[in-house]
Amino acid sequence: MQPVISIKNVKKALGDREVLKDISFTAGKSDIFGYLGPNGAGKTTTIRILLGLLQADSGNVEVLGKNINLSETRRKIGFVLDSDGLYENMTAEDNMAFYTRIYGVSEAEERIGSLLKIVNLDDRARDMVKTYSRGMRQRLALARSMVHDPEVLILDEPTAGVDPSGQIEIRQIMINIARKENKTIFLSSHNLDEVQRICNRIALIDRGKIKLYGELKSLRQGMGKGMVEIKTRQPIPESLELEIKSLPELGLKEKMDEMLIFSPTEGTGVSEIISFLNSRGVKIEEAVKKEASLEELYSTILKEAEPS
Amino acid sequence: MRYTSLIIKTSIKNNIHFKIPLIIYIIITLICVVGITAIFSIISISPEMEKELTDISLLETYLGVIMYSTCTIGVGVNLNAFAFQSITREKTRGNIESLLATPLKAGSIWAAKSIATFIPGLIVGEFLTILVMIVINYIYFIPEIGFIFNPWTAVSTFIIIPLIFLSLSLLSHLVGLTSRAANGNIIVQIFLPVFANVMINLSIHHVLEITSWTFTAINLGIAAVIIIISIFLMRRLTKERIVLSG
Repeated sequence: MQPVISIKNVKKALGDREVLKDISFTAGKSDIFGYLGPNGAGKTTTIRILLGLLQADSGNVEVLGKNINLSETRRKIGFVLDSDGLYENMTAEDNMAFYTRIYGVSEAEERIGSLLKIVNLDDRARDMVKTYSRGMRQRLALARSMVHDPEVLILDEPTAGVDPSGQIEIRQIMINIARKENKTIFLSSHNLDEVQRICNRIALIDRGKIKLYGELKSLRQGMGKGMVEIKTRQPIPESLELEIKSLPELGLKEKMDEMLIFSPTEGTGVSEIISFLNSRGVKIEEAVKKEASLEELYSTILKEAEPS
Repeated sequence: MRYTSLIIKTSIKNNIHFKIPLIIYIIITLICVVGITAIFSIISISPEMEKELTDISLLETYLGVIMYSTCTIGVGVNLNAFAFQSITREKTRGNIESLLATPLKAGSIWAAKSIATFIPGLIVGEFLTILVMIVINYIYFIPEIGFIFNPWTAVSTFIIIPLIFLSLSLLSHLVGLTSRAANGNIIVQIFLPVFANVMINLSIHHVLEITSWTFTAINLGIAAVIIIISIFLMRRLTKERIVLSG
């Protein structure tokens, strides 16, 4: 994978507090890279470093193979920050036009028109931004971020505060940008469902450290490895439950009426669990090998990281 | 320079649409200018004109005080009304951070925002001053003694006062961008009444003749001090400081 965004061993302290503690990750072309973490984990600081707003104390930050502080690199980046930074007393068109002039976009009018159409704001293009809803503002900010046709989009919670239908629209726009236009999207979000739906790679940051990083699919498979859900035809008697619990290789995690969830150790397969249950006279209705959801990944990692 | 003028135009366009500060600016400016002009005309100029032997230097002083006050109010009240929009509002709403994330330099943004806040006041202040000067000359002086125009008063009013408030706009934006946004506004809010009161009282009580070069030089000195403070503080103007102080 050719890295489009590359952060290597970056450290950053703000005052006495070490906000980023030697973080590293890369995102490739057409990736939608989800950047997750609780409040105060260091997400915004990372974004600010990626945009050249803050300087890393040490380490290396490159976008498209070049230093982020170069003007030519910044021209290839579009962004939506947590505050949209739109001029409220100007129309959507004027807001866009202002940024086309900053980036020196040729044929600006056509570009503005097509982008406003993409974000479904073409019919409100001449309205003042102060009359817009939160969702419309976010869509406009997204359109503005693409005004100079950037290679990379850095988005800080673009769907925060947006109603569900607005969230769906914004997500679809992001997917189209990445898939159809081959752009790389760096998406910081609290919305796990959103990240799970659209991101192919993720990094989870907590207290300035990357706790989890990689392809989302393999992380989910890795974390859910061996997780097996078994539905039985009759409730499991207590004596059997105790017997199952006494066998650590089966790794019984949860029992709910006729549902058993196992997390078996390596070397123990679904077939072993089934044959054990069968040998005890349990009739099985369904056995499903589970992938961990992002929410499970998130809570497991953060729980592990909690100071004892 | 291209970027600076682009931000200036955009900021002025955005600021002008803020109705409340605009209304406050217009009302305060008109009340003060009309009030000062009327009071000086009735209490000072009119009685002096009725005397058999009019003291032209005294009339020059009265006219000078009116012109100087008008320009100070026109330029200064504008800065008071709009510095909040330009610094606090844009900083808290992320406009400044968004601009900093583009290829623009922090210095260009600072200069452009400062000039954009200053320009409407400059236009209104100079226009009102010229208007007041012409009206008083036509009503009182031209029929009796001819057009009164003192060059030092003109320099102080039309050049140095705008220079003082341009430097103040640069300083307040610099402070507002690199520390708490409100700090920039506080500087402007304190400066205008203190400066206007001190300078006008000094000239009314003839401690400093408004028609003299010394008065002009002192005004120039005030502008120079503000510029020197701004230059000293300019090293604080980094993207990191602006972002972290937001």
